[in-house]
Amino acid sequence: MLVLGAVLGIAAPALADGVQSGADLHVAQSLGDRDLTVIIRRVAEVPGPVHVDVVTHAGTPPGELTLTLRAAGAPSSTAKVVLGATPGFHSGVVHVDRPGPWELAVDEATIPFVVPALVSSPWENATYGGFIAAGVLLLAALLLAVLGRPGLALVPSAGVVAAVAVGVTAAMLAPAIPPVAAPGTQLDPTFDTVMNPYERTSTTDFSRPPVTMLPRMEGNELVLGLTDASSGRPVDDLLVHDSAFVHLVVVSPTGHLRHLHPIRTAPGEYRARLRDPEQGEHAVAAEIARRGGGVQLLRSSVAVAGTAPATPNDGKAETSAEIREAGRPSTITARFGERDLQPWLGMLGHMIVVGPVTGSPVDAPVWAHVHSMIPPVPGMPDKPDESVAAYGPDVPFTYSFPLPGKYLVWIQVERDYSVVTVPTVVDVPAAKAVPR
Amino acid sequence: MKRSVLVTLAAVVAVVAALVVLWPRSVEAQPHLAESGRYRFVLTPTSTKSGSNSFDLRVTDRSGNAAQGDVTVEPAMPRMGHALAPITAAPLAPGHYRVPEVDLFMAGQWEITVSLGTERVVIPLLLI
Repeated sequence: MLVLGAVLGIAAPALADGVQSGADLHVAQSLGDRDLTVIIRRVAEVPGPVHVDVVTHAGTPPGELTLTLRAAGAPSSTAKVVLGATPGFHSGVVHVDRPGPWELAVDEATIPFVVPALVSSPWENATYGGFIAAGVLLLAALLLAVLGRPGLALVPSAGVVAAVAVGVTAAMLAPAIPPVAAPGTQLDPTFDTVMNPYERTSTTDFSRPPVTMLPRMEGNELVLGLTDASSGRPVDDLLVHDSAFVHLVVVSPTGHLRHLHPIRTAPGEYRARLRDPEQGEHAVAAEIARRGGGVQLLRSSVAVAGTAPATPNDGKAETSAEIREAGRPSTITARFGERDLQPWLGMLGHMIVVGPVTGSPVDAPVWAHVHSMIPPVPGMPDKPDESVAAYGPDVPFTYSFPLPGKYLVWIQVERDYSVVTVPTVVDVPAAKAVPR
Repeated sequence: MKRSVLVTLAAVVAVVAALVVLWPRSVEAQPHLAESGRYRFVLTPTSTKSGSNSFDLRVTDRSGNAAQGDVTVEPAMPRMGHALAPITAAPLAPGHYRVPEVDLFMAGQWEITVSLGTERVVIPLLLI
């Protein structure tokens, strides 16, 4: 029993994790002319403060942002964040008064997120309840024995055995019980599902229909309309994946790449500003993840009435490539010289592949987004944020080009709070004909 | 006297049962066998933990003779959508190869694609 107690004593804190284990939420936002990362820190207590960090990047105009935190039926809370001229972290504090679905507005951009409730699981209750009941019954048995009623003392003694059996069984089985569907990632978060996450639903398949993307230009703002491909209703259940709601890649007719993170301005409406756009048909691709489902790639194109001259991406790095034939893994490594790269969107580097190009990038059959990952640190659930400038200098990518031909490739990393985009071109040979 | 023996016996049984249930089980690195049309691949990792690892590979044809040629190993983690650069295994003896260092940096389910010529097999490898 001592052995069991010791093991359970160690195991008990681990049981308290699960639904409650929150992490910081990093959301990249292309807000007007600013490229920001909004970090909503884990909410430690409710009611209590929510710490929000706004990370600015090189070229972000200084100014003031208004943070507003609101939820249905709750008083909203506001804070001002003054953005300095130097890139870096700028903090604001807002308040929550209840767990549930909340929305943080950063000027006109709105970020829905969930403040989890601290709810103990039924098996935790059985464990603690069993041991507490055993203690109380043990006292009762001792009392009866002291009072000279050993016969009656047998009744609470039997209760002790039963209560300990309940507690030990619950504690031993708890690690093997699968976690419940989390409100916010699999289920739609409502006040009820957040407060009572252990009420199981009959749903076992959480996947949702695909999304139709309709891009249009309003002035120099690119507006994405996202509708459900099964019902035609606006899609308002996007998850933050790889630190953004939408990873939007726009390639101009001359091959200039922009990687933007549109802000949510209304349900199913996301917008991003194209600074100094070129004239012509731009290729548009958006990566999104719906609640309960995997990541989808949506491709389209939009006609832009711009006037700016064609400017190539100007990032510089030494690249070396080991290109194998189509269908086999090729490796492209960008060397950035010094070990001072920052994580961007939770990754060491991003590589966008568009091809094989014959005419315009709009017609390219292959569109890929390859990551170079930051190795996770054991025991650290939170990803390092952009203040850690200690990665690199070599950024490797491995990708199996599906078709032979000429591909446009862009490698993106972050250094000195500025995103560096290195353009390159890759020629992939056809697979060798193998005599059988 | 008889009662104390019984109590001791019960205690011993309880302790043994607890040890059997709670004894930490280490996962041994097992050889993984996969067969393609012509060849039989046996991959043995040195570790079942994430981090630096190395593979011992034995490749024979279906009748047990040592295979000849360049063997390539392509580790990938499908759940993360992440692939590592392919590694050419170093030959030690006919049909016996070694991949000296491969950094499988994340815990979870990996897929190791091993190929010799046009024959390829996919070996699942779970790291903790």
